[in-house]
Amino acid sequence: MAKPVVIVVGADKGGVGKTTVSRTLLDYFSANNVPARAFDTESPRGTLKRFHPDLTEIVDMTTTSDQMKIFDTLNSGTSVTVIDVRAGLLSPALASLRDIGFLDAAKSGQITFAVFHILGPSIASLDEIAETANFMGGAKYFLVKNFINDTQFFQWDQATYNSYFHRIKDATELTIPKLNELAYEQVEVASVPFLRFVANKGLHDEAANYSFVLRGYVRHWLAAVWSEFDRIKLTELVGSSPGKRGGEK
Amino acid sequence: MQTTPVYIICSPRPLVGKTLLARQLCEFLLLKNGEVAAFDINLKEPSLLDYLPDVTETAEVDDTFGKMALMDRLIVNDGIAKVIDLGFHAFDEFFKMTDEIGFMKEAARRKVAPVILFVADTDRASARAFPVLQEQISRIALIAIDNEHVVRGELPAAMSRGRILRVAALPVFLRTYVDRLTFSFTGYLRSEKDSSTELHQWIRRNYLSFRELELSLILQRS
Repeated sequence: MAKPVVIVVGADKGGVGKTTVSRTLLDYFSANNVPARAFDTESPRGTLKRFHPDLTEIVDMTTTSDQMKIFDTLNSGTSVTVIDVRAGLLSPALASLRDIGFLDAAKSGQITFAVFHILGPSIASLDEIAETANFMGGAKYFLVKNFINDTQFFQWDQATYNSYFHRIKDATELTIPKLNELAYEQVEVASVPFLRFVANKGLHDEAANYSFVLRGYVRHWLAAVWSEFDRIKLTELVGSSPGKRGGEK
Repeated sequence: MQTTPVYIICSPRPLVGKTLLARQLCEFLLLKNGEVAAFDINLKEPSLLDYLPDVTETAEVDDTFGKMALMDRLIVNDGIAKVIDLGFHAFDEFFKMTDEIGFMKEAARRKVAPVILFVADTDRASARAFPVLQEQISRIALIAIDNEHVVRGELPAAMSRGRILRVAALPVFLRTYVDRLTFSFTGYLRSEKDSSTELHQWIRRNYLSFRELELSLILQRS
């Protein structure tokens, strides 16, 4: 049986694009035929669930019962579990994972554990890296510079950034490019996964009538994001062989 | 199965005869098919809208709304040929956008046939722009327009290797005559009984070139 894979997407700051990255991950796994499920910790009203209602469950990660719901079912057959961690909850969530022995299980290789840490533009984000570093023993750690919401990273001094970045062994940097604002907004309004928007389909596979131009922008952008995921060999990380994926035409 | 041609007349240079060509092509398509839909993205130069207001609408590619309004019309296989008079100022943005949104691929999927009529010139901007188009557009669909009035000699080597459509230069007094807003090429053919006049022959030759272009595209796609 394949090893369970848990991917935590988080940041201690709000509005940096955690849910957007989670959505691209779910689309990527879907296109690569990797069975995935997701937990949205924006309890009680989850944004991720709005886009991927069939795959997503809303949980409150601070409660034991919901922690059980996530971690006691890791061997349920779905190979990848994506957890979209609410703003401000990344460090506490990682602390909980440590407390329940999850991080030790990851360290000993029983579970594949990856963290996508979405960075904001400010120095506070760098402090987050330092804080998160303490928990990263058994995890694959990805620092995601997300440009989707026009974040500028110029506020950072590169030397300062590097000093934080190198605190985490084997950390990998990812860049999410900017998506045309109107295209992003239209996907929001449609409340469908990016893949369905590109395919001009509604949430229930019905034909939709999205703008060809906006679909083109989303397709182009999604391809760029996926090429970043390909670069970090995400399918191999989750134990799937890289092959020709569906939906990418 | 029916395909809908979309003729995109373009150049990164002003005043190379784009609108003149667009006017003739529109009139040819109107004569042949009875209908055409033209889009004028050329408001900083002599404008197609001024010549053929009944079949022309303005379009913009400066912002996403403008791009949506234009491209969502172009991608429809409705059997009505489209002609775009693309101003030099919009050249880069237009083709950057078509590349980003995968226009050529989607057009092929929807049986829409874009034909790029690149009005050649010997300057550096044209020399730089043509290879960009070659990367994006298939050899069949990219046609260099050798406008004798502009090039006056050999076409640049890169542009002379592919498909070429030649347009002879008109004497200045005839050029002034056809540039009048009220002038119609088809109207002239109909009203001028003497088919030996220079203008008559020039228009007929160009119409014939358009016809040959259409036929060759149909043959190559079949």
